Amino acid sequence: MRPATGLYAPRSRAEVIETLVTRAHRRLDALDDDTLQHLLEDTLYRERQRLESQAPVLDELDQLEALAEALVRRGRGARVTAGLALVRRWSNEIHGRFSLPAYRFASRVFPPALGALLAAAPARLGTWDVRPDQRVRVEGPLPLIRQLADEATLVLAPTHVSNLDSPIIGLALTLAGLPPFQYGAGLNLFGNPVLGWWMSRLGAYTVDRTKQAELYKDVLKDYSVLQLTRRHHSLFFPGGTRSRSGLLERRVKKGLLGTGVLAWQEMLAAGREDPEIYVVPMTLSYTLCLEARTLIEDFLADQGKQRYIITDDEFSQSRRVAAFAQRVLSLDASVVCRFGAPLDVLGRPVPEDATARAEAAQARRGYVCASDGTVQPDAQRDHVYTDMLARKLVEVWPRDATVLPTHLVAWAAWRSLEEAVDSTDPFRLVRAPVDLRRLGRGHFLSRLRRAQDAVRAGARQGRWHAELPSSAEGTLDTALDHFARYHTSRAVGADAAGLFVEDAKLCLYYRNRLAHADLEAS
Amino acid sequence: MKVGILGGGNWGQALARLVIAAGHEPFIAYRDKRPPHVLPSTDDPPRVSAACDLLLVATSAAEVRSAIRQAVPGPRHRVVVAGRGIDPDSGDWLTDAVRQECEAVRVGALAGPAPVDEILNGGLSAGVVASRFDEVRALTIEALHSSRYRCYDSADLTGVQLSGAMVPVLAAVLGLARSLGGAGVGLHAMVLARGLAEAVRLGQAVGADPLTFVGLAGVADLVASQALPGHPHFEAGRALARGEPVGTPTPQRLARALARLAKLHGVDAPLTRGLLAVYDGMPPIDAVTALMQREARREHG
Repeated sequence: MRPATGLYAPRSRAEVIETLVTRAHRRLDALDDDTLQHLLEDTLYRERQRLESQAPVLDELDQLEALAEALVRRGRGARVTAGLALVRRWSNEIHGRFSLPAYRFASRVFPPALGALLAAAPARLGTWDVRPDQRVRVEGPLPLIRQLADEATLVLAPTHVSNLDSPIIGLALTLAGLPPFQYGAGLNLFGNPVLGWWMSRLGAYTVDRTKQAELYKDVLKDYSVLQLTRRHHSLFFPGGTRSRSGLLERRVKKGLLGTGVLAWQEMLAAGREDPEIYVVPMTLSYTLCLEARTLIEDFLADQGKQRYIITDDEFSQSRRVAAFAQRVLSLDASVVCRFGAPLDVLGRPVPEDATARAEAAQARRGYVCASDGTVQPDAQRDHVYTDMLARKLVEVWPRDATVLPTHLVAWAAWRSLEEAVDSTDPFRLVRAPVDLRRLGRGHFLSRLRRAQDAVRAGARQGRWHAELPSSAEGTLDTALDHFARYHTSRAVGADAAGLFVEDAKLCLYYRNRLAHADLEAS
Repeated sequence: MKVGILGGGNWGQALARLVIAAGHEPFIAYRDKRPPHVLPSTDDPPRVSAACDLLLVATSAAEVRSAIRQAVPGPRHRVVVAGRGIDPDSGDWLTDAVRQECEAVRVGALAGPAPVDEILNGGLSAGVVASRFDEVRALTIEALHSSRYRCYDSADLTGVQLSGAMVPVLAAVLGLARSLGGAGVGLHAMVLARGLAEAVRLGQAVGADPLTFVGLAGVADLVASQALPGHPHFEAGRALARGEPVGTPTPQRLARALARLAKLHGVDAPLTRGLLAVYDGMPPIDAVTALMQREARREHG
């Protein structure tokens, strides 16, 4: 019987590395001298630049020196050899160490343990509530996705909110009855040896985002293609990094996403019986976000690019993570993970009916094959196909996202702040004086009620989902309770004098989850 | 190469002649009237789809959807719409309309001056094909480019389609301006320049390259519409100015679609609105007066 994922039938480490080196060799051989020279010079320059700010490993420096010498003094063969030495090193670094026994152990132990951890909030002490499914709500067309996981290779494409996304998705996959997915995790997350050991054995491979050389990015893409063709269901965060603003991603990176269409063609060319790759959009809707403060400050400081990799946020402080888990994730439905309707690699819907799906798969070959059935490589065409998929993801994410009380109350509070300051400029609003941040309760509730009606109407029209109490008062009370659970200053709070925006930056962050929704009529 | 042409009217036949001139074999799907025997044709559009990878759609904009539904192109097809850019009913780009009606995704648009009678009589001309897919552009150029017809390529699909839709509207406005009693070359020239400015403004709002409007799909097509005696879009404007029955409904329908597009993107389109106002009964002289009495503004920006 065929395993549920290629992860269950791993190839030897040496074979994977050799395959990656061979692929890179083939690609380098295909380049003309000038392009090869340019690629390797780019690699040398970017790697030297990277190592200026990092403690280099000695043989890493030796390899760069060998590349430099080959570029200056040696011929094409030596240059390719020096480039491939780096490729081999990177391939070793990237390749994960999935372990089926470790995965089986983790999938038995971790969900109940997480459930116990999540149940350890003060209100639940003395109980043994080990039902993580109550905390992490998993929704979507699960029977279809389970079927597709069995007959094809899946790419999961979630929105990226928090560093907790990966473990939460891991839990969601278990709760959904799906096999493990391999995913790329930042090299910085492997700094903790225990966490790194587990991540690697549970399906993570390593992505070093400080490595900006095209040659490195090509190795990453090769690795992704290779693993997809070996039926490793994979998780990509198409947004690339956590949303700094709290907005749902409107642009996605197409590098790894584009490996889906490449792997599909490789499998078609190889005459595989199961060449299909399906992309499953996913949205993660958190009541509160662990790193909200750092992220929104980063956004407002407009340092997103410089601080592309944040290493000193709340996720790096184990106490903060534990406090977050106890106070926030212990709430019922504190996170809603919604699997969206599956798409093909061109962003087109996948039929639910098996016969229609098989016919669609057959017809789909026409997008890349000539009349005689041979695959016609065309990188520019594939780039457009991936762009179509990316656009579709950006289109469906808002429809799959769930509006929670904290989002709606923050939205209404931000609108009130805009009125009070008479501006929509976020930089002015986050500096609004205290007296302008006061919200008249009656007026605010009236606004919230209208917004809640609009959200419900939108949910009925399929524009988004909503998990809200039945009344605006209930929504407000729930949000106030949740805001007070974790952040040291609340997005919106209440005191004897009434409601107020306590932390305008956090208010902006949570409001942004609803920025795409046209609730202005309220 | 066998090149499919959906639409057997004059424009479809002209494209077929260009295909022959480029050394290829056209295959026309016609609906009502069979083209001359020298041009291979059928009244069974799926036969054309089965025989050809490249399909050129040569129907009116309003008939593109039905032509595609009948021909049923599939994933292997490259479909190039040689039409007026926008579906006047839905306001969709015609290439989007094609994608909505069939499984083909590799689509493109062909635009430019198309003096059909001249082409049918061996005259020289040029056009531009736009697509997001290099292969669609390359295949179209291979199918059409010859010593009779220079086929240029562009990656600005939106710009080429918007130009195709704007030209009939601006041609009608120019026809109207040219025929107003008391109006002269000054008004004509002003409308020409401001019409292009309007097209550029709208184009920038929808992500098009402004340069596209000074190319074959824009200025060249507009010049052809005035230089060609009896051009239907220019004549429609003249008839409006004189209060006579208007022939083709194309400028009016496209103007409505463009006005909706401009409103959607918050772009001021006074000439398009003015033309619609005249279609809706405003005396042409009042429309021109209203345009002339607008406040002074910077020419660009």
